[in-house]
Amino acid sequence: MISYLPLVFVFPLIGFLILAFGRGRLSENLAAIVGVGSVGLSAATTAYVGYDFLTHLPASGAYVVPLWTWMSVGTFNVEFALKLDGLSLTMLSVITGVGFLIHLFASWYMRGDDGYGRFLSYMNLFVASMLFLVLGDDLLFLYFGWEGVGLCSYLLIGFWYKDAANGAAARKAFVITRVGDTFMAIALFILYREFGTLNIDELQRLAPQAWAVGAPLATATAMLLLGGAVGKSAQLPLQTWLPDAMAGPTPVSALIHAATMVTAGVYLIARTHVLFELSPVAMQWVGGIGAVTLLLAGFTALMQTDIKKILAYSTMSQIGYMFLAEGAGAYQPAVFHLMTHAFFKALLFLSSGSVILAMHHEQDIFKMGGLYKKIPFVFACMLIGTLALTAFPFTSGYFSKDEILHQAYLTGHYELWAAGLFGAFLTAVYSFRLIFITFFGPERWRQAQAHGHGHGHDDHGHGAGEPHGAHTLDHHIPLAILLVLAVVGGYIHLPLSAVLPEAHIAGGDHGPAYIAHLPFVASMAGLVVSWLLFLQFPQVPAALARGAATAWIGKLWKNAWGFDWLYDALFKAPFVWAARINRNDFIDGLIGLIPAGLRGAASLATATQTGGLRWYAAVAGAGLCLLIAVVALH
Amino acid sequence: MTSVQLWALLPLLIATASIVATMLAIAVYRHHRFCASVTVGGMNLALIAVVYDLITGDNLAVPVTGLMTVDAAARFGMVLILVTTLGVLTLCHAYFEGYKRNREEIYLLIGLGTLGALTLACATHTATLLVGIELLSLPMVAGVAYSMDERRAIEGGIKYLILSAAASAALFFGVALIYAHIGSLDLSAMSQALSAASLDQPLVLAGAAMMIAGLGFKLSLVPFHQWTPDVYESAPTPITAYLATVSKLGVFVVVLRLFHYGSSPISPLILTALVGLAVASMLVGSLLALRQNNLKRLLAYSSIAHFGYLTIVLAVPGDESLRAAGVYLATYLVTSLGVFGVMALVSSPMGERDAEHIDDYRGLFWRRPYLTSILTAMLLSLAGIPLTAGFIGKFAVISAGVGAAQWLLVGSLIVSSAISIYYYLRIVSALFSAVAAGSERVSEPMGWAQSFGGLMLVVAMIVMLWLGVYPQPLYLLSGQLAQH
Repeated sequence: MISYLPLVFVFPLIGFLILAFGRGRLSENLAAIVGVGSVGLSAATTAYVGYDFLTHLPASGAYVVPLWTWMSVGTFNVEFALKLDGLSLTMLSVITGVGFLIHLFASWYMRGDDGYGRFLSYMNLFVASMLFLVLGDDLLFLYFGWEGVGLCSYLLIGFWYKDAANGAAARKAFVITRVGDTFMAIALFILYREFGTLNIDELQRLAPQAWAVGAPLATATAMLLLGGAVGKSAQLPLQTWLPDAMAGPTPVSALIHAATMVTAGVYLIARTHVLFELSPVAMQWVGGIGAVTLLLAGFTALMQTDIKKILAYSTMSQIGYMFLAEGAGAYQPAVFHLMTHAFFKALLFLSSGSVILAMHHEQDIFKMGGLYKKIPFVFACMLIGTLALTAFPFTSGYFSKDEILHQAYLTGHYELWAAGLFGAFLTAVYSFRLIFITFFGPERWRQAQAHGHGHGHDDHGHGAGEPHGAHTLDHHIPLAILLVLAVVGGYIHLPLSAVLPEAHIAGGDHGPAYIAHLPFVASMAGLVVSWLLFLQFPQVPAALARGAATAWIGKLWKNAWGFDWLYDALFKAPFVWAARINRNDFIDGLIGLIPAGLRGAASLATATQTGGLRWYAAVAGAGLCLLIAVVALH
Repeated sequence: MTSVQLWALLPLLIATASIVATMLAIAVYRHHRFCASVTVGGMNLALIAVVYDLITGDNLAVPVTGLMTVDAAARFGMVLILVTTLGVLTLCHAYFEGYKRNREEIYLLIGLGTLGALTLACATHTATLLVGIELLSLPMVAGVAYSMDERRAIEGGIKYLILSAAASAALFFGVALIYAHIGSLDLSAMSQALSAASLDQPLVLAGAAMMIAGLGFKLSLVPFHQWTPDVYESAPTPITAYLATVSKLGVFVVVLRLFHYGSSPISPLILTALVGLAVASMLVGSLLALRQNNLKRLLAYSSIAHFGYLTIVLAVPGDESLRAAGVYLATYLVTSLGVFGVMALVSSPMGERDAEHIDDYRGLFWRRPYLTSILTAMLLSLAGIPLTAGFIGKFAVISAGVGAAQWLLVGSLIVSSAISIYYYLRIVSALFSAVAAGSERVSEPMGWAQSFGGLMLVVAMIVMLWLGVYPQPLYLLSGQLAQH
């Protein structure tokens, strides 16, 4: 049974190959069948293998399926083996399950696009790479998948490459994550040098023997790994690429930039938690980065007008929660939140895609409004997703986020707990802002339409700006399933206890009873504030926007605390300056001396080839004399 | 002479018989394809005789009259010589189909040259060396000047004749000087003398220098290289191929017997001279090729560099370097045959002018995609790109040089290779560049005569790639060179 495991990533890989080589020759329907079907088969295999795994739990907690030796140079031996344990099974289920639903949605969303087959081929390749990432039992393999998903992310963000801005966004995402990847590569170098292996189990066994808790090398390794995780998961200080990544088609945002790839950092830390436990400093940084990111992103989301960017900052903020949990040693809640977040955020993104299409590719929420009557099903999805996001009781997000905050408190990380609590308040404010402005309030698109079609010559009964809902099954089914998952996903019990340790809670202390209710209170407060500010008294935000100090703060939040500006000034400007100084590339000039010298030497040599017989004979004779001199006279 | 000796000499006897048969055939009935078939058939029989010996016999060394010895090394050399000769003959057939005058004698000349090369492969005595070298050189003079209506061909023939004669004179003078000291003409005795040469033996040292000069001319090592481009350029392309391959191969087997088979390593005095020649050949050869626009001249220069690389093995004692020499020779032969083969086929049937200028090859890919693919692969192999045979050959030589810590030689090889990448890739880029309509060289469509040549090239390509990917059998086979 377990031997079927490789099929999980083989199916998407085959799908990718068929789509890549059949580009332009496959009809849209055929491409959809291949592209969605391959992930569907993969999901079915996961279900089958997962059922087998859960019914026959291995004693060691993990099945290892060795496939072949990837490379063997001297003592450097990389086995290509797949590892299935509770953690990778959780990730597999999310990737193939949510991935399948998103693929299905995408096959509807992308209809009519020129690059339909190309899109699905990249998506398939992404799924295969992501599965590689979570199945590899070796850090080198994980890294392979890590780079693979980075490539697919690049390809898909820049999918509509004819617009140069999309290409720039793709490059930004690629370059910034590359910074993190470089840290991670260095971490792998250190680990290999120290332990001679990159096998994760081996490392987890060897590292605590070799390194004392708090050893400098352990801290360095953990910090470098954290660098990789931070880059991939868009956490401070490498977070700036995620909002730009929204340039890609919305299903991409749902799959890569919400449900799976951006959570790879969380997975990495969970996977190598033993290494992190060896460094209390690094653990503090993990939690600290998570807490700061979730707050900064929460404030930023408050001021965004683009529906996808709001969701992007919200993703950043939610991943901040996961980091926060890991920093507190609460790995299981972190992975739990990873899963529930995948459900409700995928639902939110896909719904937002539906909203965007209904609004004729409009993404500005201030040009929407009152949509709940026009697209009620999408509104329901969006509302449920938002409730889960704000941890409304008994939705999936409620269980995971409460668990995170509760354990953060119990483990004594009060400052993390406080940040998370305030973050919950912020989450509710910006999430319901999105709901209120988009689905309630005045129908602003009518004004835009009135401006656009000033004379009202409209024979079609409804205007071009009139929102129109979708009515096909491939649109409804994914949303419906995700909606159900977003509600009941919290009741899923993850088989993580064999893989990840419990948080260190001192002596069965459960803290004061009110602690458990505070997150709900914070969320409700946020909901009320949001209702007051954006629906009941919209003049308040408008007034704030006019005040000098408040306007400045608003601008700061809108521009995500000016990180882009800061990085431009710190890194881009000096680089551009250096490039300008070295416009004529003096190193190239130095290297240019070599061909120039060779050309000169060649001219000299060629001059000896006169074609004259006498000259040739004379040279040969001289050569002979020289030879005799060398040999005999030495 | 016993039957064992006759049997051992069978390849040479068959080759001789096929030459006589070709001569008679020409006298009786002039027919291009028929005469070609007679020679090709004879050479095939000779090849079968050698291979039969290699496979079934216990590969014993059979001395024949003290002048020759047919041993494993000789058999290895003969296989290479005969296979390459067959390749060249196939090209000749396609190429000379368009020649207006008598076409058949070219087979006679090639047959004679090959007989000379075979003799050299078995030579263990300076008399045989003399006969073999002249038998190899003189027919090639006629071969170079074969299209005698052309001034250029005559000029090339005369250059080759005079300089080759001078080189032979130097070689034999050297032989005489050493003979004066040791009193023997046996090659193994000579080899012994070269190993033991010391400063108080001026006759041996001067003799060695003159022998090196004579043999260096045949192998076109710097500074005895200057005839090479002129002669290569003026010869018909298949003859150029022959000069670049068989003619040098035969000589190199004798060089190995003289400078490598001694029981002790070569004298340091002579080694210095060889190292100097090798370094000069590698560097000057590549520099000369750098900006060359004529492909024949370019390949002439590159062959100078290639034999410079090969000379490295002479500076490394031991069987491993002989193995390297065998690997290098085989890969060089296959690759050269491929490059010259494509050139010959593009120039076939022989017209007013061979396709030899780089402009003739500009955009060839769009007209002759298959030939161009083969040429590209062969050029990459000459440059020594991994997964081609050329890489394996170069690797073998480098590892031999590194093993003996000959850093000057290895360094020169690396510099020369780096330069060579430029001029090989320059041709490759020309092959694929766009060309204005009407300005390309008009080439005839492939006729039936060329299809054999095409087939030969495909085989060469397959062998080349196979050696590049799986060189182990060649390594084992090259061990033959060490059994003498």
